[in-house]
Formats: sequence, structure tokens, C-alpha cells
Amino acid sequence: MLAGAVAAGGVAAGVATTGPTAAPRGSALPSAPRSALAIPDPRPLAREPHLTRWAPLRRAVTARADPAPAGASVARLSPRTPEGTPHPLAVIGRRADAAGRIWLRVRLPVLPNGTTGWVPRRAVGAYELVRHRLVVDLRRLRATLLSRGRPVFRAVIGSGQQRWPTPRGEFLVRNRLERYRSARYGPLAFGTSARSATLTDWPAGGFVGIHGTDRPELLPGRVSHGCIRMRNADILRLARLMPVGTPVTIR
Amino acid sequence: MSGTELDLARVDRDGAIAETRGGLSRAGFLTAAGAGALLALAPRARAAGLSKTDVDVLNYALSLEYLQAAFYTESERSKALKGRAAKAAAQVGAVERAHVQAFRALLGRKAMAKPRFDFQGVTEDPKAFLKTAVAFEDLAVEAYKGQAPRIQSERVLAAALGIHTVEARHAAWMRYLNGIQPAAAAFDDPRDKGEIDRIVRATGFVTAKPKMTTRRKPKYTG
Repeated sequence: MLAGAVAAGGVAAGVATTGPTAAPRGSALPSAPRSALAIPDPRPLAREPHLTRWAPLRRAVTARADPAPAGASVARLSPRTPEGTPHPLAVIGRRADAAGRIWLRVRLPVLPNGTTGWVPRRAVGAYELVRHRLVVDLRRLRATLLSRGRPVFRAVIGSGQQRWPTPRGEFLVRNRLERYRSARYGPLAFGTSARSATLTDWPAGGFVGIHGTDRPELLPGRVSHGCIRMRNADILRLARLMPVGTPVTIR
Repeated sequence: MSGTELDLARVDRDGAIAETRGGLSRAGFLTAAGAGALLALAPRARAAGLSKTDVDVLNYALSLEYLQAAFYTESERSKALKGRAAKAAAQVGAVERAHVQAFRALLGRKAMAKPRFDFQGVTEDPKAFLKTAVAFEDLAVEAYKGQAPRIQSERVLAAALGIHTVEARHAAWMRYLNGIQPAAAAFDDPRDKGEIDRIVRATGFVTAKPKMTTRRKPKYTG
């Protein structure tokens, strides 16, 4: 109705000349200013098949076999890694229990490798998203970093000797160590959630690292105690590309 | 009762934000690392063609758009919502991401960096999600209304009003889904920035990046 009145010249012709907003006969308001913002169309969430999630543990917690407080205990988790950094957990599932509490299925840094468990959502912090994946091929002795599924880094590696094999499975980069003094580990090291199944009494639990080396002439080769060694230039190049929380597939 | 608690209670009409605080002390929230990061990140410099006041207002709006976009995006990714709530979250999230994109384009290098958020499971709990969405949308509407009189450029004001009405539609939508009267009052009050800062800080949703690097010597198997 209003539009009709305007179209018929009602306002200009005097329909609105008696109200509190009336304009003087014959005058016109200036046109509306243009917006300073160019608002694009709404942006639907892109489908991202290579996206993975991790979250730091907020407090000590018991991981359980089922998503319920009464579920059997699988492992007791500390909020800190042996290196003192927050303990990141790869999140691979979610479920609500009968009381509506949310539980997350996570990969656990325990033996046997590949163990998963459930922790309360409230025990972990913010989700962090990763679009990378490191693939370690123990047969070809090669490491490949993928970003959104596309290779962005390749390097030859050293892996575990036959008596101390590098474990296979799905793991996570847990932290990054740098500026320490140890030529043996090279200039930089990443910690992973993988554990040696043979060196179980190794200090700090026998975790497998990805690091540089002072013996580059041995690479590629099966030369380590289970860690993944790279030439120092390669580990530094990898460090520029790979964030903590990156999933690691060792096959 | 402190001012912060009072403010939170006013915007958090159904206690959704308060629910998310369960298990954590109030002192923990107020002293959490990064708790004040949301608005502290706003740069002070001028963007081309905009007054300092308008840059500040735009960055303030951007900070709230970041919060909303991250909230809906995380919820959509969790796939925890079903039916009408899921549809609304996807639609509103798409709009909030467009708002972020537009503000960042206008501010260019003067745009504040995106803060990090920890929604503490609220995005994955359908009831808590809806209550928090109502609180966020109402807050955004009040924030735009509170800043509009300060805006100096009529083109920035036009933009702000264009977004303000969209946020009001979102607020009504989320209220309807939550079983709350969508438009109960005859007049909406603005809320000033200091008050909104305190409310956002009190949620504990703004968090610091975890420090995952150390100088300790490795003890890996080698």
C-alpha cells in the first residue's frame, strides 16, 4: 500500500505533508548513501576431505573404552608431554552419552600403537585444524608431506633397524623441539605419538621422533633406534611447512 | 555480585554461557591466557580513506563477526546439529563468513588478526548451541546499535546498518528456534563496547594459542 502511494506520487503530492516527518512541498531527501562494504554472497562451508582435528588436553584424564564415565579405563593421560608441551590428541570421533555429555574418541600415545579411547569433551581445549599429512614409507625410505592432499615436500629418511623397527600406524606430531644442543638429533626435532614396541624402557617412554642427524651419509637406510631421521637441510625445510598436530601415517 | 556477572546474566538470558563455565572457576576465566585477546588485537592505524574512529569501529565489528563465524563454522563441522537448527547454523554461518570477508577486504592491512576460540563443547551440544546463538546474535545487534552514532562516514554507517538488520533477523531466527519470543520489546537498547568486552571475556571463548615448541633436548629413540 505504501509502495502504491509512493508510486502514485502521494508523498511528493502532499500525503506526507502533515506528519512529523513531513518534508516541505517540492523538496526531496538525498538518495541513500552507498555502503562502504561490498558484502559477498553467503559462503557455504567448503567440503574439505583432508581436514583433521586435534585438541590439547586441558587436565589429567582417564581415557575409556566406551563414551561413558563407567567405561573401562584404557590409559591415564597427562596434560603435558614428557617434553613439557601441552598434550595434543588427534580427535577421530564424537558421541553424546545417555546424560547428554559429549565424549571424543582420540588416538592414544600408548602401546600397543593404534589404541584409541574416549575422553570427555570438557577435558580438552580448542579444536585445532590441520590440512597436512606426513606419509612415511618404510619400504622406500621416503617421507612425503601432503597439503590438502597434494605433495609439498619429499625427502629420503633413515628408519629403525630390524631389531628396533619404526612402528607402523596412524600417529600425530605432538611438539617441536628447537635450539637444543645435540648434534645427534640435528638442528630440529618433532615428537610424535608413536612408541617403540621394543625400546619400552627408553627415557621418557620410547617415543619416536622425526629429526635431523649428524650422520647424513647413512641416509637413506635402516639405521636408527626407531626414530625417523632426515638430513638437516630436509628437517629444516619440513619445519617450515609442517605444523604441530599434523597426522603421521607410517606404512 | 560483580559487574561482569551482572552483565553476563543480562545477555545470557537462558544461562547458556554460564553453563559452559561449569567446572572452571571464575578466577580462571578472568585470568585465562588470551582472555582479552579478542579486542586487544585491533590495530590502531588508519585504513586508507577512513578515519581512525571508523577503523576502530570496523575492527570492533570484525572481532564480533570472527566470533560468530567461528562459532557457526565449528558447529557445522561437528555435524552435531540436526533438522532446522542445522539448517539455520549453516545459513547463518555462511552469512557471518561473508561479513568477515567484507570487513577484511575494506580494512585491508588494518584488519585485526583472527583470534583463537575455544567454545568448550557448546557448538556440539544442540541445546547449548541454540542458547549461545541467541546470546551472540542479541549481543551483535546491541553492539552495532551502540556504535552507529560514533560512525563518521555515511558510507560506513550505511554498511553497518545493512549488517545490523541482518543480525537482528538472525537473532529473531535463533530466538524462534529456541522457543523465545523473537520480538518481545518495542525498543531495543544499545550496549557499549566496554560492556560487550566484559561479556565476551567472561565467556572464556577467546583463548591463546597453545605453545607447542620447546628448547628441551629430545629424548626420542634416536
